[in-house]
Amino acid sequence: MNEFVEQCLREWRRLGVPGRLAEEMAADLASDLEEAQAEGVSAEQYLGRSASDPRSFAASWAAERGIVPRPGREAAGRRPPALAALTALAAIVLVVATLLLATGEPKVALTTSATPPRLSTPPAAARLSLPPGHRVQASAAAPVEWILLLVAIAALGLCAWLWLRWGRSRLPAAPA
Amino acid sequence: MLDLCLLAVMDEGPAYGYEMTRRLRDRGLAIVGEGSIYPLLGRLERDGLVETYRAASKGGPPRKYYSPSSAGRIALVLGVSEWRAAREEIDAVLAPVTTEVTP
Repeated sequence: MNEFVEQCLREWRRLGVPGRLAEEMAADLASDLEEAQAEGVSAEQYLGRSASDPRSFAASWAAERGIVPRPGREAAGRRPPALAALTALAAIVLVVATLLLATGEPKVALTTSATPPRLSTPPAAARLSLPPGHRVQASAAAPVEWILLLVAIAALGLCAWLWLRWGRSRLPAAPA
Repeated sequence: MLDLCLLAVMDEGPAYGYEMTRRLRDRGLAIVGEGSIYPLLGRLERDGLVETYRAASKGGPPRKYYSPSSAGRIALVLGVSEWRAAREEIDAVLAPVTTEVTP
């Protein structure tokens, strides 16, 4: 087995090509190179530019066979775990924010006011006993929940777009 | 285009890698050296356009033989039709061009 084939074999092993397949490809390549040489065809003539770059040649062959990911697509292949986590987180936030908005009571806040309240006499049933300088504010709005909801919707939109991009990047190339 | 040529030469009879190169060379196609056929064969195999088997070559070690699958034969027929149509269109455009250069 010549040096070129040895380097290809090392590259296939490094890329995780199963041993039997790597050995088979190496044996085929070695046999072809020997036959070419016997006919007076050099490795450079037979393999062209690939003859000077065994690692790229080996990676390209394995990738085209579908044994290893294509160079440059490994990152895309690694994206889903992180993307799945982000999608799950956004979905959880969305559900929690929706539940809080649907079931939460109007928020009541006790605020301190510098000026004493100028309220006319409230109905007796609603009269509160508050320290001087304090007043009660009641509002149906729940800003934190609304913000969470909007953030979750935006995050889910972003996730959907990233999933679409990732899906497109994994489509097989059209035959040349 | 080279994948179409590979399907064509292996359609003549099962062939291993170097044998296909030789068949192409015998027909005057010497562009193979510019890029190896192996990644192309790998792609054809991945796409199910070829069938393979291992057998001993003439007096040599066992080799991997390739032949077009039924999907490969369909792809070959369609590809050749497309190529011929494209060639005719291009010929029609280039036909008026004279190939003699006058000083």
